[in-house]
Amino acid sequence: MPRVFITGIGFITSIGNDAGAVETSLRELRHGMVRYAPFAADNIPVKVIAPVRDFETDAAEQEDWVIPAPYKLKREQLRSMGPNALYATCAIEQAIADAKLEPADVSNEDTGLYAASAGSPNILVRTLNRMHQVGVMRCAPLGVVASIAGTVQFNLVAHLKILGASTGFSSACASSSHALGFAFDEIALGRQKRMLVVGAEDGNFDAILPFASMRALSINPDPDTASRPFDKGRDGFVGTGGGTGLVLESEEEVMRRGITPYAEVLGWGQASDGHNVAISHPDGLGLASAMRRALKSAGVTPADLGYVNAHATSTPIGDASECKALRAVLGEHAARVAVSSTKALTGHGLSLAGAMETAFCALAIRRGFIPGSAHIAELDPACEGLNILRATQVASPGIVLNNSSGFGGANVCVVLRPAR
Amino acid sequence: MSDSDTATTFEGKSLPKSPETFSAEEEAALRESLRRCSPKAVEAAIDYRKSGDPRHLPVVIIGIFERFVEPDLRPRLAATDSDDLRVIEDLGLDSLTMMEIVMLVEEVSKTQIANDELRQLSTLGDIKAFVDARARGLPPPPAAKGYDSAAVLEKMPIQPPFLFLDEARVSATKATASYRITGQEFFLQGHFKGNPVMPASVMLEALGQLGVFYLLAGLPVEAGKVVGAGTIFFASTDGVRCHRVCKPGDVLSLTLKPKRVKAPLAVFEGSIRVGQEKAVIAEEITLTFGLVDAPSPEPAVQS
Repeated sequence: MPRVFITGIGFITSIGNDAGAVETSLRELRHGMVRYAPFAADNIPVKVIAPVRDFETDAAEQEDWVIPAPYKLKREQLRSMGPNALYATCAIEQAIADAKLEPADVSNEDTGLYAASAGSPNILVRTLNRMHQVGVMRCAPLGVVASIAGTVQFNLVAHLKILGASTGFSSACASSSHALGFAFDEIALGRQKRMLVVGAEDGNFDAILPFASMRALSINPDPDTASRPFDKGRDGFVGTGGGTGLVLESEEEVMRRGITPYAEVLGWGQASDGHNVAISHPDGLGLASAMRRALKSAGVTPADLGYVNAHATSTPIGDASECKALRAVLGEHAARVAVSSTKALTGHGLSLAGAMETAFCALAIRRGFIPGSAHIAELDPACEGLNILRATQVASPGIVLNNSSGFGGANVCVVLRPAR
Repeated sequence: MSDSDTATTFEGKSLPKSPETFSAEEEAALRESLRRCSPKAVEAAIDYRKSGDPRHLPVVIIGIFERFVEPDLRPRLAATDSDDLRVIEDLGLDSLTMMEIVMLVEEVSKTQIANDELRQLSTLGDIKAFVDARARGLPPPPAAKGYDSAAVLEKMPIQPPFLFLDEARVSATKATASYRITGQEFFLQGHFKGNPVMPASVMLEALGQLGVFYLLAGLPVEAGKVVGAGTIFFASTDGVRCHRVCKPGDVLSLTLKPKRVKAPLAVFEGSIRVGQEKAVIAEEITLTFGLVDAPSPEPAVQS
C-alpha cells in the first residue's frame, strides 16, 4: 500500500496568515481572539470571536472586499466565492507553493481535491432575502454556488483546474478530518498520486452566532480567557474562520520530486456516537472507538504516541467526554502522552478545524515543538490522569494523533509520524 | 398594437412602457444597482426612467458593459464600430457575466429578456437593437440567420474558384461572413511573385459578394417581389482604405451594413478585420439589382 506524506501546508487563520506566523503563535501561545464589533449589541450575549486578519469580507459584494497582498483574484473568480472559498484559495495556493508544485503537477488526472466547509450562510441569506424582496430573476446568478456547502470545492476545482477526484465533506466539525482521511485513502488505494485537502469557514456574524442559542458559545467577554479548553471555568467555544490547505502525496511522488515532507500520514479512523444530534457522548464512546481504529490503521499503539491534538473546543460537556475517551484509549500511557487543544489560541474553526489542526501537527513535527494548551487557570478535575500540556515544549512530538468530532456524533482521528 | 399603455408582452404579462412616476426610492435603488457604472450611464438611466425616451438606453447599455469588461478592453466600447463587438469573442465575457449584464439592463429598461431571446443576441449592437425595440413597444428585430458553406454555395450565383465567403450570417441590419485565405487561390500564384498577398480588389469583391448574399437571403424589399439572382452587379465603391496586408492562413471577418436599399440600388458600408485588426474599410459599396416576382407560395417546401 502506497505510503502518504504531507508535503505542503498553507494557512489563513486567526493566529497567522502563513506558516511562519502560525508557528510563532503556537510557540508563544498567542491567541487570535478579539472583542468583535458586530457583536456589540446588548441583546447579543456573545462578545468574542477569533477573526481572520487583513481580509475584509463583510461587504455584500465581493468586489468591495479587501484582500491583502500577494493574493489577487479576478472578479470572475470572486463572484462565486464566500469568504470561506477566498480563504481556502489563499491557503491552498500557499500549500501548493510550499510543496513546490507547478500548475501541471496540480492539473492532471492523478491529482484530486477534497474540501470541507459548511457553506456561506450570509450569502445564502442575502440571496434569499433578495429573491423574496426584489425578485426571483434579480438575484446574483452565482449566489447558489457561492453559498451552499460545496462552495469551497466548486471554486477550487475550477480555479486550480483539478482533473482528478473531487468532492466535499459535510460532518460539521469533523468535516475536514473526513476530507483528509478519505484523501489518504485515495492515495493509499492507488487511485490518486496527490490530493489537495482544504478546510475553510466564513467565521463571521452569520456563521458563528447561530451557535449561541444552543448555548455552545462562550459568553466570556474577555478575549484573553474566553477560549480555555480543559479549564474548570470554560463556558463554550469561541468561533473562528479562515482556511487551511494541505498537499498529500504518495511516497513515489515524494521520491520522484525530491521534496522533503513535513510528516507521514500513517492512518486514520472514524466512528460515531449513536447518541445525540449535537451533544457528545458523555463517555466519549465514539471518539474512543475512532482513536482505536486510527491507531490500528496506523499500525501503532498508545505506547508509540507522543502527542494528542485534542478536539476540545472549550465546551463543558465536550472537553470532559474527550478526557474520558483519552483515558480509556491511552490507558497506562495517559499520564505520559502530551495532550493540548490549540483551540485555546485559534478558537473553533468548525469545518476548518480538522485540516487546520492536522497542519499544526505537521508543522510541529517538522519544527520540533509541542504546542501547549493555553488559558488554563485551574485545570478541570475531569482532566485528571492526563498530561495536559500547559506550555509549549521544544521537543519532537513523535507520533501524533489529531482528534475531531462533529454534530451527529461523528468522530475522526488521524495519525501522523515524522517523515523518514 | 396600441402604443398607449403597454409596450410589450412577456410570457403573457403586460409591462408598463415606463412608469408614470419615478419615485425617489426607485431612483435610489437604481443608483445603487448601477453604482459601479459611469456617472454618465447612471444619469442616462435616470433620464430614461423619467422620460421613457429610449434614446437614453444605448449610453446605459455601454455603461453596463464597461462595468463588467476588463479595463484594457473598455476603450473599445467607445469606438465607432462598437456595435459589432461580439460579447464573448471580443469582450471576453462568459455567459454568467452576460446574466449579470442582462439583469442590470432589465432593471434599468424595465423589460425582460427571455432565455431564447438572449441566445440570439451576440453583439453589442444586437443587444442595443433588442432593448430599443422593447422600449418602443416594437417586436424584436428578426434574429440573425446563419448559413454554412453549403447554404452559401446554393444561394450564390458566384461559385468557386471566385467565391470568397466560407459562411455567412444575415440579419435585417447587418451581414457578416468569414473567409479563410487558403493559399490555393489561383491568383496568389502571381500576386505577388513568391509572396502571396490577397489583392485589395479581391477583398472588395468579397464585400460585394456579401452584399449579393444579403440581397438574396430573402429580406423583403418590396411586397410580392424578390431580388433576381442574375440581376445583381457591382456599381461603385467609395472611401476605401486598406490597413493591413492579408496572407494565406488569415481569416477575414467581413461585416456589411445596409445604408439604403431601394431598387435598383443597394448601398452598404463594409469592413474586413483579421482577428482584432482592421484590414479594409469601405465607406460605401453600391450594388445594382433588379426585382422579379416572388415564386408562388408553396407552404410545404417554402422557407
